[in-house]
Amino acid sequence: MKKLAVSALAGLILTSAALVFPTAASAAVPHTMDQCYQDYQECRENALNLDAPWWKVTIILTVCDIGLGKCALHL
Amino acid sequence: MRDETGRAATLLAAMPLAAIMALWSAGGQDVGRWTAVEVAAAANDADEALLGRPLGLAFDGKLLYVCDAQDCAVKVFAADGRFLRTAGRKGAGPGDLNFPSGISVRGGSIYVADKSNSRIQVYDAEGRVLGGFVLPFRPDRVLALNDGTLLVTGNPTGRAASEKLLHLYDTAGRLRWEGLEASVSSDRIYDAFRNMIIVCAGAGGDFYVIHRSGRRDVLRFAASGGLEDEFEVDGRHAFLPLDLPFAGPVKRLLGFCWAADWDSGFLYIAAPEPVDGRDLGPGRRLSVIEGTGRLAATLDLPCPVHRFTVEGRRVYAVDEDGGLRIFEVVR
Repeated sequence: MKKLAVSALAGLILTSAALVFPTAASAAVPHTMDQCYQDYQECRENALNLDAPWWKVTIILTVCDIGLGKCALHL
Repeated sequence: MRDETGRAATLLAAMPLAAIMALWSAGGQDVGRWTAVEVAAAANDADEALLGRPLGLAFDGKLLYVCDAQDCAVKVFAADGRFLRTAGRKGAGPGDLNFPSGISVRGGSIYVADKSNSRIQVYDAEGRVLGGFVLPFRPDRVLALNDGTLLVTGNPTGRAASEKLLHLYDTAGRLRWEGLEASVSSDRIYDAFRNMIIVCAGAGGDFYVIHRSGRRDVLRFAASGGLEDEFEVDGRHAFLPLDLPFAGPVKRLLGFCWAADWDSGFLYIAAPEPVDGRDLGPGRRLSVIEGTGRLAATLDLPCPVHRFTVEGRRVYAVDEDGGLRIFEVVR
């Protein structure tokens, strides 16, 4: 039960993050997959060079993944 | 006497097998316990002297060069920490920089990994542009190994098969060698950590490769790209586990190295330290490793450091707030 609640909460947070975090996909012109990957790579490079503790880097890399998904789906 | 023997036996029985093996492999030799005291750095009043996001340090024996990814510039300091000048500015033209992430100095030339412009930029010691070349990937670190060879590292994109982490170029930008294939799985985040490496220039153009997590073997390559040696770091430089969030089956990282440098026959490896009980961040203890992998000494710094470079008994480091710190090693 506790696990289910945690999973649901995590899902809710991630969905909110996906909708709230700005990405290049928010531009009016739809992106090509190449552009999506360029933005994605920039996001990852930024995260990997943050020098932040690794758990935080993991969260930012997850946001990069969400950004790539949004861009690819033209959301 | 009998009591002492009994106590020793009890102690041995209580020791984990790994620790006994580590002691045994070290041949019972002593490990030095070095400390460091902070050297008062010269005061810098200029705004330019402030470091926004220092990602690379290089020392040429006289001057310290710091690449600042936020200010898109190379900042030059005297050995006592006095700010002297900057080289480069934000942009994409000749001599401009966009997110410089690595720096190396050799023979009076400063080589900078200009990440977001996907190129290497070269300056002279006064900050004048000498040239550069474009790369087919975003560079992460650059090391000038000898007068003719540059090692450039890059983070894999995950879009191509068999991506390499190490690339050797000549100073004209011609690719000479590529090696060390990136680890690939269905989990890109896990892969990103597994592929994080640190490279250090050794003697005679050699270079060392250390994985930041999961592996305790250090690879030593020649400037030609040939693998010269591979050794395991002493078990007393321990792994620190970290369970990654958001994973289905738990994925555990074994934190090994936060930063590293090589100087005078020793590898200095900074171990990560626990943060808030479940995270791993920069540490203040450096393991001083001999060429065989044996732990020669531990060096305790006054504060955790993100990046550092060692020059004899001096350690130039960037602290958690991005400030430049200078330490003198006490052996």
